[in-house]
Amino acid sequence: MIALKNLTIGFGHELFSVHDFNFEIGRVYSILGRNGIGKSTLLRAIAGLNSPLKGSVLIENNDIVNMSGKAVAQKIAFVNSNPLGVSHLPVDEFLLLGRSNFTSIWGAYSKDDLDILAHTKMLFQIEHLGMKYTNQLSTGELQLCAIAKAFIQGSDMILLDEPTSALDYSNKRKIYDLLLRQASEYKKGIILTTHDIELAFKYAFKFLLINSRSKTLEKISSFSEAEKEFLI
Amino acid sequence: MKMSASHKTLFVISGVFLLILSCLGLVRGEVQTSLSDVQEAFFHYSDSDLRHIVIQEFRLPRVAMAIIAGASLSAAGMLMQTLFQNPLAGPYVLGINSGSSLLVALGTLSGISFFSTEVGVIGSALLGAFIFGVFILLSSVYLRNQISLLLFGIMLGSFVSAIITILQVTAHAQSLKAFTLWSMGSLQAVELRQIPLILVVFVIAIVLSFLIIKPLNILVLGEEAVKLMGYRVKRLRWMIVLITALFTGLVTAYCGPIAFVGLAIPNLSRILLKTQRHGVLLFANLLFGALFLVACDALIQLFSNSMLIPINGLTSLIGAPFVIFILIKKLK
Repeated sequence: MIALKNLTIGFGHELFSVHDFNFEIGRVYSILGRNGIGKSTLLRAIAGLNSPLKGSVLIENNDIVNMSGKAVAQKIAFVNSNPLGVSHLPVDEFLLLGRSNFTSIWGAYSKDDLDILAHTKMLFQIEHLGMKYTNQLSTGELQLCAIAKAFIQGSDMILLDEPTSALDYSNKRKIYDLLLRQASEYKKGIILTTHDIELAFKYAFKFLLINSRSKTLEKISSFSEAEKEFLI
Repeated sequence: MKMSASHKTLFVISGVFLLILSCLGLVRGEVQTSLSDVQEAFFHYSDSDLRHIVIQEFRLPRVAMAIIAGASLSAAGMLMQTLFQNPLAGPYVLGINSGSSLLVALGTLSGISFFSTEVGVIGSALLGAFIFGVFILLSSVYLRNQISLLLFGIMLGSFVSAIITILQVTAHAQSLKAFTLWSMGSLQAVELRQIPLILVVFVIAIVLSFLIIKPLNILVLGEEAVKLMGYRVKRLRWMIVLITALFTGLVTAYCGPIAFVGLAIPNLSRILLKTQRHGVLLFANLLFGALFLVACDALIQLFSNSMLIPINGLTSLIGAPFVIFILIKKLK
């Protein structure tokens, strides 16, 4: 569980604040908001990549600033909005980097690691990509692989910054289905940001909106509430 | 560290070649010797036998230095390419060994006798490599473009050689001689008694490299990925610069500048092994680097009757076209 306490999010100047909010496992949270309002900044603050202006992020009641990088990595996986392909890096190897906290000091994989790899590739239907280099993938394939890598990491919470931005409609749906299933079946807490509002509201996500007038993060439950923010 | 069958085959073949060429290096030369002479020279050394002296005092240090220098420069190149996420990086092009040259020049040409001693020269070379490594690391923050970083390194090299030229003009004859001898650079400059110390630094650098294998593997995805997996990015960067300085400074101190090995071999290793697993890559770079320089040395010895090709000349002759090949592939 991740708790946000009196958080002020910003990058230099104040963007918005979160009074008190808990992210639970077993659910998918979708953060909505206009461009530049600070969705990514919020996600990055939760992942410990940059610190909030004020307040604290608690992971299972531990303040993230007091936790070691390793401890945070065990609890949180983060997927960037534009993962980059690397030459000479096969997909299998890329995915297994998600197991870094479990492999030996030389980075050797165990049978378990390889089983998890095979299972995850099956879930994401990317078995055929295994030997391809990551810089030869399409943007959509790469995004799929990056999400798969986060699952392989085995952390309770998975943060995804616009995970569907480069995907076509059917792949967007595939990802959303997969995320929901992962959350309920594997007891993961998933937080994502998205601009695909209409599609997202077809799913049983929890919705959070960064309100540009009140400059706060608020819970919403219907598409019409989101429309108010985006139609002005 | 599990290796695939194709990697193993490649390593075994390279290992065999390395062994053959090393033996060749010990046997061949103006003084006729055989493999049994080499064996004799190792286990029943007699200082009255010319063949034994030639093998132990001249050929063994040269071959050993070829192995160590080739392996060191390639490993350093691999580390720098991963650090800067730039396949065109290397200890020579980024001017790391210019740092060694500059400090050795300042030391020896200053006329202070300490800097002309063995410890003085090695110390200056290692320190110079480290200072320039840090310098390049700091500049890389502003030089995000891969080609600009490269140009920066080359300019740094030119700048340093200009300073050295000016220093040489003003230096005393005695210290000038000491420095010029050093700056010519060759695999032959090292003596047998120096090999243990060289080996110690070499092994330390290798052990340190193997300790950072895992964060290196993640570093190919960028520094943020390293941080997200719970590693300290700053510490990793410093570690890489330190290890690079050990490898490069060591080679520059004893052999002078040797170009392009540290750029070409790491690229070749990645192309041949099709992986970014640094455990395998490090091993490959050490092996292929050693093999490459021993082969270069064998080639030099082959022509040594008609002309003595400097090692730096030969590696540039082979390395520069290879770099152009990579550039063209990248720009396509």
